[in-house]
Amino acid sequence: MHQIYYIESNQLNILSRKLKKDYRVFFPVTEEKNATKKTDYSYRELTVNEPFVFNPYRTVEPLKTFFTPPLDKAAEYFNQEGSIEDFPKIIIFGVKSCDIVGHKVQDFVFLEGVEVDSLYRLRRENIIFISSDCTDFKEVCHCLAWEILPYPTEGFDLNLSPLNEGYLVETGSKKGEELIQQYKEFFVIAKDTQLTARKVKRENLIERLKKHLLPQHLVSKDIVQRLIKEGYNLDTWQQFMLTCVECGGCNFICDTCHCFLLMDKKEGNINKKLKAWDACLYTNYAKVAGGANPLKTRTRRLRFRFTKKFDFFVDNLGMPACCGCGRCIEVCPGKIDIREVLKDLAKKLSVKT
Amino acid sequence: MKNIYKPQEAIVEDIIVESSTIKTFVLRLKEPFEFRTGQFVELTLPGIGEAPFTPSSDPNIKNKIEVTIMNVGRVTSLLHTSPKNISLGLRGPYGKGYPLDRFEGKDILIVGGGVGLAPLRSLLFSMFAEIDKYNKVVLRYGARTPDDIIYKESIPGWAKIKKVDVVTTVDVGDAKWKGNVGLVTTILKDLPVDLKNAVSIVCGPPIMMKFATLKLLDFGFKPQDIFLSMEKNMSCGLGKCGHCRMGRYYVCKDGPVFTYEQLKELHDIWD
Ligand code: SF4
Ligand code: SF4
Ligand code: SF4
Ligand code: FES
Repeated sequence: MHQIYYIESNQLNILSRKLKKDYRVFFPVTEEKNATKKTDYSYRELTVNEPFVFNPYRTVEPLKTFFTPPLDKAAEYFNQEGSIEDFPKIIIFGVKSCDIVGHKVQDFVFLEGVEVDSLYRLRRENIIFISSDCTDFKEVCHCLAWEILPYPTEGFDLNLSPLNEGYLVETGSKKGEELIQQYKEFFVIAKDTQLTARKVKRENLIERLKKHLLPQHLVSKDIVQRLIKEGYNLDTWQQFMLTCVECGGCNFICDTCHCFLLMDKKEGNINKKLKAWDACLYTNYAKVAGGANPLKTRTRRLRFRFTKKFDFFVDNLGMPACCGCGRCIEVCPGKIDIREVLKDLAKKLSVKT
Repeated sequence: MKNIYKPQEAIVEDIIVESSTIKTFVLRLKEPFEFRTGQFVELTLPGIGEAPFTPSSDPNIKNKIEVTIMNVGRVTSLLHTSPKNISLGLRGPYGKGYPLDRFEGKDILIVGGGVGLAPLRSLLFSMFAEIDKYNKVVLRYGARTPDDIIYKESIPGWAKIKKVDVVTTVDVGDAKWKGNVGLVTTILKDLPVDLKNAVSIVCGPPIMMKFATLKLLDFGFKPQDIFLSMEKNMSCGLGKCGHCRMGRYYVCKDGPVFTYEQLKELHDIWD
């Protein structure tokens, strides 16, 4: 069902500028000019004359920022709120496989359950993902450990795989196919030799990533819930908590963390409800008005983050809420490494990884 | 499509003082509103903040609800100093509430502590309205002091309803108090219920719920026949914001009423 096309790099440059007419176009950029250096990428809105940049791995910021910004307007009340504002159509380039898998959790939270978050849905409907294969990885990357391949297989609208002086473009949704049809003069159907070349490139990266990951003996998807359940009372939590400064960074940077707090504010005569990101590593996250706090210690809060990801979501969504992007590892000032926490549980429970 | 975070307007029609720290707010809704007993609502003090409460009124009364609120936090203390006729925001109802169909034909033991009698009053009203459906309703209620007893004027009247049996106690009495003195667990003995056909419903402060549950298990209630109203930090009420998680559940959407059977394997449920 997925169609695969080919587009030349200079054509993609022209196309991305054309897309600006109908969409706000975001793509990852880096300040680092030397392409051989490992560097960080961040989304920026395309200005008129920039060339298209290919990011070899994920951006610094999580994809969720496009759907739930750190501080969002949730509602106005006691006045006739105009129908929900028009949301601009957005195209995001450079989304990676881990981002897409992580985003399933956000979709599950905000689109399913007892009620749908209408603003989230509006954004979801108006955002197009143009994902791409990873051609490199960061030290903290561990998608493969969770059986997530470093190239997207579903959940994208279009996916780019760099090849020679251009890109193979795979369609993954109706939205993606329509976009191709709208600009069909830019694309040709991919040749079999090109498909073979893509396969080889993908396999090569997997081999490299395996070489990086195998010596780490990471915990796998099928044992992680068991470790969390059986390791509930181990001293792992106590030990790793020691360097936690409760900054909430690991929560905010994570593509699967979705917690927020509703806040009220008056602006002029208008009452507003705001939706602000919250972090379960914060002291008052679970505190009730009467003063009781089931998560009064850092030990409990750190463990809560892990039980949420690897127990709650396995039970409720059928998958762990971690895609191995490694963002939380990079961001943590306390050097708390999710890979090491899980490995410590395995070691103490004498479970082979 | 409706915005799930937008509250509707509710006017505070009356404020009834229940004790020195507890007041009942009578709210008139502008739009049609119905709830099932045991479900909760989120009340907003406009521009200031929001907090969850379980209505204490009869769910058969439409477009008007009563919410009994203890002055314990930022939002509740401001509510306590608010005058009548102000507008509050209201979202909900949320959660599953009490499964009344599972209570029919049974001996019902209701155990309340302090302001925990508020949600239970709504349950009692629903049962009183159809008292023929239940074998008997046994209420055991404890408060810290005689002043802390809520619905003081109504309780004697409840005791007179056929099939209803009420015993109250206070932790610490005063000069005028002639009733039982002791924790609520001290009046959970020789309970006039037939265990083969009984359920129990508990609501109160966590520590009271814990010891009441242990006592009821001891008495012979099965974990699936003990219904507990859990209190956790809540923000959205809809299973989205994450705050109220308890093990594999969200208290807001999977509860707030759970059987002890559902909770017994979870960690730290009383904290
Ligand atoms: S975790 Fe995997 S998919 Fe994500 S950026 Fe790294 S290599 Fe790519
Ligand atoms: S827990 Fe860490 S590695 Fe896993 S998805 Fe979140 S940020 Fe990425
Ligand atoms: S990023 Fe590290 S220090 Fe900050 S809250 Fe998370 S675990 Fe604690
Ligand atoms: S109150 Fe938000 S998830 Fe339960």
